[in-house]
Amino acid sequence: MIPIRYNLRSLSVRKATTLATAGGIALVVFVLASSLMLSAGIKKTLGSSGRPDDAIVLRMGSDAELGSVVEESSVPLILAAPGVKADERGQPLGVAEVVVVAAMPKLGADGVTNVTLRGVPDDVMRFRPEVHIVAGRPPRPGTDEAIVGERIRGRIAGLDLGQSFDIKKNRPVKVVGVFAADGSSYESEVWVDRELLRQAYGREGIVSSVRVRLSSPSKFDAFRAGVENDKRLGLQALRETAFYEKQSEGAAMFVGTLGTVVSFFFALGAMIGATITMYAAVANRQREIGTLRALGFSRRAILASFLLEAILLAGIGGVAGAAASMAMGLVHFSMVNFASWSEIVFSFDPTPRVLATALVFACGMGLLGGFFPAVRAARTSPLKAIRG
Amino acid sequence: MTLAGLAVRNLARNKFRVALTVAGVAVAIVAFLLIRTVLWAWTSGAQWAAKDRVVTRHKVTFVMALPEHYVEVVREAPHIKAVTWANWFGGKDPRHDREFFGTLAVDPDTYFTVYDEMKVPPGQLDDWKHDRQGAIVGDVLAKKLGWKLGDTVTLESGIYPGDWQFKIDGIYTTTAKSVDRSTFCFHWDYLNDALPPARRDKVGWIVSRVDDSAHVADIGVALDKRFDDADTPTLSQDERSFNASFLAMFSAILKAMNIVSGVILVIMTLILGNTIAMGVRERTGEYGVLRAIGFRPGHVALWVVGESLTLGLLGGVVGAALAWPFINYGVGRFIEENMGAFFPYFRLNTANLLLGLALAALLGAAAAAFPAWRASRLRVVDAVRRIA
Repeated sequence: MIPIRYNLRSLSVRKATTLATAGGIALVVFVLASSLMLSAGIKKTLGSSGRPDDAIVLRMGSDAELGSVVEESSVPLILAAPGVKADERGQPLGVAEVVVVAAMPKLGADGVTNVTLRGVPDDVMRFRPEVHIVAGRPPRPGTDEAIVGERIRGRIAGLDLGQSFDIKKNRPVKVVGVFAADGSSYESEVWVDRELLRQAYGREGIVSSVRVRLSSPSKFDAFRAGVENDKRLGLQALRETAFYEKQSEGAAMFVGTLGTVVSFFFALGAMIGATITMYAAVANRQREIGTLRALGFSRRAILASFLLEAILLAGIGGVAGAAASMAMGLVHFSMVNFASWSEIVFSFDPTPRVLATALVFACGMGLLGGFFPAVRAARTSPLKAIRG
Repeated sequence: MTLAGLAVRNLARNKFRVALTVAGVAVAIVAFLLIRTVLWAWTSGAQWAAKDRVVTRHKVTFVMALPEHYVEVVREAPHIKAVTWANWFGGKDPRHDREFFGTLAVDPDTYFTVYDEMKVPPGQLDDWKHDRQGAIVGDVLAKKLGWKLGDTVTLESGIYPGDWQFKIDGIYTTTAKSVDRSTFCFHWDYLNDALPPARRDKVGWIVSRVDDSAHVADIGVALDKRFDDADTPTLSQDERSFNASFLAMFSAILKAMNIVSGVILVIMTLILGNTIAMGVRERTGEYGVLRAIGFRPGHVALWVVGESLTLGLLGGVVGAALAWPFINYGVGRFIEENMGAFFPYFRLNTANLLLGLALAALLGAAAAAFPAWRASRLRVVDAVRRIA
């Protein structure tokens, strides 16, 4: 086995070539890791919006809260269904909300985007204790006051502390607080008084969705049977986790697929770059290789050594690219989620799995790109090489 | 032999390396052109948009419709030649759950007059106008889902509950490239009459053709003025601005793809620069001799740049030759058939092709900048002495 120091020193002799090749691979890994991180971020943001012990009730056939219509009169029936947990005062834990979108001017882009407005009852925090105000104050019940999610704040005109936006003609709503919600998609929403939203959007007597907390996740089937058995209501119950998985499906797949296809092409190019570099390394070191062979190193040892060098070369690029992609963790990416047609702010989520994938990918590029040059090196005849 | 000729001939010395480099550049150019084509196909809708059409919709939100009588108001406004309207139905075929296509409830008498780039055979159009349950579908959609004239189709909607039955009365083709060939159009009356009274007599948006396309923006503003004092204010935009504002929702993705298309060019430059630097290093002695017999440093730099530019251009031409059939007959056909609702026309356009070629040559020259500078700075004595 040829010592690894030999490869390291060979790489450091031709700095420019090593840097150019590793740089190309670093860029590929950066693009791949970033797209995987965004895809993971989409799943995380929407995934952390759902709890395993929560169920959501929508109109039969609706995929999203936006198109769903549930009669107000059905709400008590849903809350009375089996499996719903009661709070300390014996009240069933559930929340009926109105969800609409409004077109608002996007800051930093020429145009408008759809922002989700959620009409919440006064006691919404009873159901969602993880939501807390991080700036300003909670809205006073029954007023034209709104709170905005931490992530959407400052991205849309009018959605920052102290500013206001028109919910309908000549009906300004004032932003009095900013809330955080454990990184879930609620942080991309604007919460206003439910009755106000109903009036403004002609949603009197209906809600979009009803969420309930179950006394345990295993009670879901009983709850669903209770809600769906009454066909007149025309309702469906979903586990909240399953609901959000469906919400993230389209966007996560789009970003993931696009990223993978693009990375494949990029990798092909960078791999060819590695091959060129390694062929040149083998050609320039004919004499060295001949000497090594003459010293008694086997063909297999030469092959292994050059493969290792290629993997090292790609590994350097891979580590640099993965490290650079970590910086994307600070970037927030705002896009329209296909399932709800409304703007959601995602972050790049650097999971260990993504980083491992990126590094394995880089080493794979080195292995494939270095294979043929390494074979050529191993085939070098010692006699011919030393003679030149 | 001319100086330029010498630069080109230098390429032939290491044919294998040149072939690999050309392959690397070609792959990069294919990837670059693919990304450019996605961006172009996504954003070109604005450029194909009809100049004389105005879309009027609810000012605040797409979830609320306009009162039907607005159509009459628009019809009587000055400069308006023809008016039609439509509602988003949100239908899908339960047997093809994952296929997305647009479903619109339209006014049969006027819709295909206002959208005159959608061509329906006159006989089919007449049949459809007299068939309340009739539908006209795009040729791409009909082919994909295997629908033929006279077929009965049942759709579900996420917005309007129930099963909706339709008969395929006609198939439209298009004369403009930007028009979706996968839309499903049916009678607005059929939908309206089936709705509960509270939801009846609403139109999703109104589209009008104007007689003065130069002042289409002013006509839109004048239309909105008419509804300023009404309960439901409107936003009227010409089709081009409408499409452009729609794109703002995806601005982050578009920006990211722009950056990524730049990244591949950097990778390509690194591959090219590496190859050229290797060649220069190997030929240091020769450059010394050339300098010794009287060539100027500028000559040496010119050779290096000329060689690199030729290499870049060669790779660009090969890449373009591969990208043309790959995009237009491979990916493009697949995308148009499967994602026609988003990308009705996915083809490599000449401007992008020329851009790719120009960038390949330009970056080829740029990649040589550093090696050329170093080669021209060599001192003759060092160069002749040095062993490559």
